[in-house]
Parts: sequence; structure tokens; C-alpha cells
Amino acid sequence: MTDAKQDEVDPNAPVAGMDFFMQLEYHELLCPVVREFADALMDKRLIGHRCPQCGLVYSPPRGYCPICVVPTTKADEIELATRGIVTNYTVVTPVQYYGQEETEPFAKVSLQLDGGGNLSLQDLLEVPVEQVHPGMRVEVVWAPDSERKVDDITNRSWGTAEGAIQGWKPTGEPDASPDDYSDKVF
Amino acid sequence: MQERLTTHTIEFPYTRTLGPVYSAFLTGMRDGQVLGIKSRDGRVLCPPTEWDPTTGDALDGDLVPVGPGGVVTTWAWVTEPSRKHPLDHPFAFALIKLDGADTGLLHVVDAGGIDSMQTGMRVVPRWKQERIGHITDLEAFVPEGSK
Repeated sequence: MTDAKQDEVDPNAPVAGMDFFMQLEYHELLCPVVREFADALMDKRLIGHRCPQCGLVYSPPRGYCPICVVPTTKADEIELATRGIVTNYTVVTPVQYYGQEETEPFAKVSLQLDGGGNLSLQDLLEVPVEQVHPGMRVEVVWAPDSERKVDDITNRSWGTAEGAIQGWKPTGEPDASPDDYSDKVF
Repeated sequence: MQERLTTHTIEFPYTRTLGPVYSAFLTGMRDGQVLGIKSRDGRVLCPPTEWDPTTGDALDGDLVPVGPGGVVTTWAWVTEPSRKHPLDHPFAFALIKLDGADTGLLHVVDAGGIDSMQTGMRVVPRWKQERIGHITDLEAFVPEGSK
């Protein structure tokens, strides 16, 4: 690209740089707990594992609780609510590096789901970034059946699930009290 | 339960500055001219290097035109090109000693078939119409007289 730009300015200028493009494509077989998470997303269900010892909920499930150091199994699987509270947020102002498709500032939010379970790095829909705030009550917006996909989920996925969940939109209910989520902010 | 295989692609574009010798070499490529460089003992090195391979002295000037034709000194036939290869049909990687040069340039010979390849054969360059200053501006060498 650099050379092409230079050539537009002066096609006779010496060639000063060379463009390189490193590309690595690889395939990954989803491990069983993540595969179940992905399958559930395709059915418009959000699942997690609740640690039998401490009660913390992990979504996507990991197959273990890293705090208690105990395995979690299908028996610990629960279905999570698809409504919750915004506990924290980050406004991302895109820098136009290679591969960045966003051009306008957007918000990523952390959620505490009703009944337990947390998600991070979720997209907030229908809300101008300057109006995003903790305590907002939101509900999921699934991708349409024909477009829903889980191809971007990895074994290290944090549950962003962008191909399956378009984002979260306000329910219109009053904000939650800070007491409802103040110890769950992350 | 059905397996789920996911595909991931990591991409990293970057630009490297070339320095005086490779800048001149690739500027020549853009202009449709292969250049070599004179070493201290008077040999012509193509591709040009920034250092004299015999003495280790810096070489920073005296680029001279070579070719356009040359001789294949050794080659390997690629039967099934990968998507990363410069041509999408079978071809040869070859060391080509261009006329006026004393060393071999690693490049591609688009010979049509392996039976057309021979050590010592003469080849000439086939340039791309649109050139950007890259080794692939010279699309391939072809057997002399075949154009």
C-alpha cells in the first residue's frame, strides 16, 4: 500500500519500502464444553456451568472452576437468563489499523445476568455511547436464524459470541440499584 | 454430538524499508530492468547484495544492468503449486545466471511442462504490465524464443 501511494504521487520516485503480508490460517476443534455452548447458542440458549462448591457461574463453561480447582460437568450446566444489568462499559474509539472495520466510537459492556452469570465484551445496541451507564437493564438480541453462526467461537472464547448474539438492547425498565451489582463489576 | 471445527486467520501486514541497494534493485524491477552490483573483485552479483560476499566490504553503489536474458543453471519442477506460489499452474523454480552477471537469481520459469526444462537453457523475462517495485514485477522467465 505504501508503495502504491508513493507511486500515485510520483511514479518515478525510488522504491523505498517493500510490503509484507503475513497470514496464518489454522483450524481448531472445539472442546466438548465449548461445543455445547456453541450448539446452545444456535438454539438461542445461553448456557454456563455453576461451580458445585462456590456457586460461581462460568459462561462459556470451562469444565472446571479455577478458583475452587474442581471439575464441572454436564450436571452443573444451567441455562442463563437473556436479560441482565450493565455493570461496566468501555467506549472504544476505533483506530483505523488493518482489519479494523469499525469507524465510529462504540461501547462494549459487561453484564450481570438475572439469576446469575456474567458476560463481558458485549455489544450495546440502540444507545448512543454518551448515554451508556452502569445499571441499565438490557435484553439479548439474537442474530436472525438465517444469519446466526458460531464460527468465531474458540476454545479461549470469552463468550462474546458475536455471530450468534447481535447485542443487547435496553428493556425500558428503570435502572437497577447499585446494590444489585456493585460487587459484580468487572 | 457433531464436532465443530472452526477456522481462524491471523494476518499481519507490514512495510520494511529497503536501504540503498535493494531500493535500487526494486526500482529497477518497477522500471522493467534487472540490476546487479559490482563486487570489489569486479564480478557482478545479481541479485545485488549490500556486502561483498568475499571480503565483507560494504557495497553501496555501482548497480549495473544485466540480462534481460540468461541461462538456467539449476532448477526444480513444481508439479502442484500451492496458493502461495507465484503461478497457479506447474512451473520451475530456477537459478538463472543473467547475461553479464556472475551469480544466479532465484526466480520462476514458466516453461509449460517439465519436458521443456533443461539445465543450460536460455530464458528471457516476462514482465507484468503494472509494476510496483517488487520481485514479482518480473512475473516469470520463459524459454527464449517461446514468446
